[in-house]
Amino acid sequence: MNHHGWLDALASELRRHGIDPELSRHVVSEAASHLRESGEPPLAVFGSPAAYAAAVAESLGAGAAPAGRPGGVGHPLGGPVRGTARAGRPAPGPVRLDVRGIRKRYRRRPVLTGVDLTVRAGEIAAVVGANGSGKSTFLRICAGLTSPDAGQVRVYGSLGYCPQEGGTCDFLYPEEHFLLVGAGRGMSRRAARAAGRAQAAALDWDPAGRIQARHLSGGTRQKLNLVLAGLGEPDVLLLDEPYQGFDRGSYLDFWQQLWRWRAAGKAIVVVTHLLNQLDRVDTVLDLTPAREMAS
Amino acid sequence: MDQERRAQWLRGVLDLCVLALLRHRESYGYELAQSLDSAGIGPVQGGTLYPVLLRLQRTGLVTAQWREGAAGPARKYYRITPAGIETLRRTAVDWTAFADGVGAILREVQTR
Repeated sequence: MNHHGWLDALASELRRHGIDPELSRHVVSEAASHLRESGEPPLAVFGSPAAYAAAVAESLGAGAAPAGRPGGVGHPLGGPVRGTARAGRPAPGPVRLDVRGIRKRYRRRPVLTGVDLTVRAGEIAAVVGANGSGKSTFLRICAGLTSPDAGQVRVYGSLGYCPQEGGTCDFLYPEEHFLLVGAGRGMSRRAARAAGRAQAAALDWDPAGRIQARHLSGGTRQKLNLVLAGLGEPDVLLLDEPYQGFDRGSYLDFWQQLWRWRAAGKAIVVVTHLLNQLDRVDTVLDLTPAREMAS
Repeated sequence: MDQERRAQWLRGVLDLCVLALLRHRESYGYELAQSLDSAGIGPVQGGTLYPVLLRLQRTGLVTAQWREGAAGPARKYYRITPAGIETLRRTAVDWTAFADGVGAILREVQTR
């Protein structure tokens, strides 16, 4: 990759992270200037454009937290550049979702055998497990769509749910979905449309235009689903693998959206089979049955 | 030296080292990288250095200004602020106390 290619890729990755365009230009110019003077290849100096943009975004985001701390107690610069899930973030808030002793069997087959989960405001819980281990069932139980055989789910606050599939209306345009779901959550048409557009933009998607949901690509339909789950700023978000059909960029946007939601104090449960993000969540709930783990 | 460990150590002190290098005169990224290297704390790649500079700038400990060099290319020059000097002064004391403690413990190991 030559410098121009790398710099262009950096510019688009910065945009993807929602970095202010002016600042983004400075970051790219400074990188270009460094590369010119050092004569070294960009990958050796800065790593991949995606990784460098993420580090830049993180350094900008991390600056916000210490500023809120009175008097800058301790080490005011704190926080590693790439840290653990908790670095540079306020302590988690009150419990938003409390799940105790959930049991569920389908016919004779036990799917969930006494599952507990507690998620606080400002936390992400990842639900992992093999196919058929009951991840979607667990989420549907949390959402109140499926009854457990035993156990209790308590939700403190409002709830947004993004199903694995379905959840959209075939013959409605994306913006009509915003109005419909927004109305259900007490939002005015204008507020619902604005919120929907803003969240869609965060996923690099322009929802304007008259394309019925049934004609959207699978990935775009999932973006619509995700936007709908977040409409009205629910306190708890239940997301069932909402990134299927996403390309790599959209997948990154999705996780960025999750970090923003978490920073905004939402309690998030996300079903995932992709393990590379697990070091950046607060809790991992593994539903793989014990007998399979032992084998 | 174990590169991963070195990177971990660096993470804790890189911002302080940058502030210290800027204490007497302004500088720019590439020059700071060279200074850090020649000071012996090892090569610091741009991918590590610039995010730290951004954070220092954002927290008001340094200011930055683009300037055309007479002969060279335009560079972003960083300058320490009074708040930066104050932070540097205070944290340098903390660091010395901490590093002395570590040093004392490790010296015991070495002399055994």
